[in-house]
Amino acid sequence: MLDYAEPVTRLIDEFKRLPGIGHKSAQRLAFHLLKSSQEDAERLADAIREVKARIIFCSTCNNLTDVDPCRFCANPARDRSIICVVEEPYNLVAIEKTREYHGAYHVLHGALSPIRGIGPEDLRIRNLLERLRPGPDGESEIREIILATNPNTEGEATANYLGRLLKPLGVRVTRIAMGLPVGSDLEYADEVTMHKALLNRHEM
Amino acid sequence: MQLLRLEAYRFRNLSGEIEFAPGLNILYGPNAQGKSNWLEAVYLLATTKSFRTSHPRETLLYGEQDALLRGAVIEGNLTRELQLLLAETAKQTFVNGKREAVTRYLGVLDAVAFTAEELEVVRGGPEARRRFLDRGLVATMPAYLGTLAEYNRILKQKNRLLRDAADAADPNRFIPQIESWNDQLVRLGAEIHSARTGYVDRLRQALTPQLFGVETVDIRYRSALEHRGDLSDYAALFTERLALRLRNEIASGYSLVGPHRDDLEILGDGREIARFGSSGQQRSALLLLDLAQINVYNQAFSEYPVFLIDDIDAELDRTRIETLLNHLEGKTQTIVSTSKRALAERYGARAALRPIAGGRVVASATLELRDKAIDDEKNRGKNDDKNDDKNKDEIGAVGETGETDAVRAEAAESGDEEARHRAPF
Repeated sequence: MLDYAEPVTRLIDEFKRLPGIGHKSAQRLAFHLLKSSQEDAERLADAIREVKARIIFCSTCNNLTDVDPCRFCANPARDRSIICVVEEPYNLVAIEKTREYHGAYHVLHGALSPIRGIGPEDLRIRNLLERLRPGPDGESEIREIILATNPNTEGEATANYLGRLLKPLGVRVTRIAMGLPVGSDLEYADEVTMHKALLNRHEM
Repeated sequence: MQLLRLEAYRFRNLSGEIEFAPGLNILYGPNAQGKSNWLEAVYLLATTKSFRTSHPRETLLYGEQDALLRGAVIEGNLTRELQLLLAETAKQTFVNGKREAVTRYLGVLDAVAFTAEELEVVRGGPEARRRFLDRGLVATMPAYLGTLAEYNRILKQKNRLLRDAADAADPNRFIPQIESWNDQLVRLGAEIHSARTGYVDRLRQALTPQLFGVETVDIRYRSALEHRGDLSDYAALFTERLALRLRNEIASGYSLVGPHRDDLEILGDGREIARFGSSGQQRSALLLLDLAQINVYNQAFSEYPVFLIDDIDAELDRTRIETLLNHLEGKTQTIVSTSKRALAERYGARAALRPIAGGRVVASATLELRDKAIDDEKNRGKNDDKNDDKNKDEIGAVGETGETDAVRAEAAESGDEEARHRAPF
């Protein structure tokens, strides 16, 4: 027996498929929609439809975009000789928020994890290598690759993998630093972060 | 630090609470009444881990969804309340009634346990000895837990990769990937190696090798890489060995190089105790290691962890017990369990006695009465001289029900011989 009329149950079931949504949240969302106006509901439906219809991956950097190349790759003001490699599009957004980085990006869409069956062939590495290919003058225009994968074991392994792959090509490869979050207090650092920060201390 | 009180709810067969005194506490009573369960509960409250099982579900009272342990700990003048909620698959930790991350919970109370299970350290394979070292390290250096967990996570990923490679038509294709996991393995492996060798040095200095007389106990960390090169630059040697054995690792589908293959050598008079030691020597050696661990802890924090000794008379002879308890006097809060009333009586003057029956602390009179009943039963068994086994079973079942206790208590008050024998055996 269904708890609610079929269309409601179906909506709840669909919400439950989303990450982080359990039965109660799904129910709450469904009833919120039932109570909201026709336009509000249509707007949400349109947004979902449109995102699937119009969002593609940039053919250069794999970022989510509605135009190809994406606005980062197409922007002539950005320094195309530096590429910052991240795991997911939202990691790119986090870096972009600093307004400090003016180079190009490359999104891998994942990190190595043998346990989850993710190998290099499942990451978007091939078109990164294509970007490094020397131009007509025999020189690659890329000077540096910044590996900004996550500071966990999978992200670290992915960075190591890319480092081993890219260094022989003669390009400078760097890894973002890890340590204490700036602007917070030492007391908020967990033991592992603190431990790493102590290991990576530097001369004043 | 000292455990003042422990309450247990839905945990194994325990009920009620125990008040603990500073110094020596003796839990005594017949077998299968819950003495060891109380010790296990203390250890769990301190470490969130059981010394008996890695499945929290096994510690729940049959049919229950969760169990709760709550204890009060005093350190200096500060009293703190610890609470551990054990569900079938998860654990929740609370300090002073507020939910806290395990990392903040651990360290409020620390415990070292000498149990039959722990004898694996001196008897079993290297894994038990690595665990012994890691346990001691985590207590003195909490960040080590993170290093260890990360190393194990990487090992798991790498093992999976090695298995995939072993099964693949073209294993070479996996080599760059394996190497990228090896990079982290080396960094963390070197941290583990240096932490463990440092800890073994401290343990060795804290060891009183001849406390129990005859044999001299010594320890040494044995890296699986020794005699393979220069251990003083562990990271370099580790890297070299990984490269050298890459093919073997792929062929076997397992990680063959790293600190997860190391061992702690425990020597009695220069001979490896796990292989050549007598059962008594092994027990003494383990006890010395536990005491050394307690000393190292004390050097680091100027505090003593709680020392738990399960079934003390089964594990140690009378002179060793005497030596041990004298050695501990004025140092640790020590909680021991025993089924021998004689032992409890011998130390009664310098210890807090906690008679245990049916999973809770009972008035000692109740227990004495039960002991008397058991003696009577034994005598009757001797007179009969047959059905010996049957008698044993019956003795084991004595005192399982509260009713029995009540009947006996009544008998004690009225001095009624008859009533005592009416108790349902």
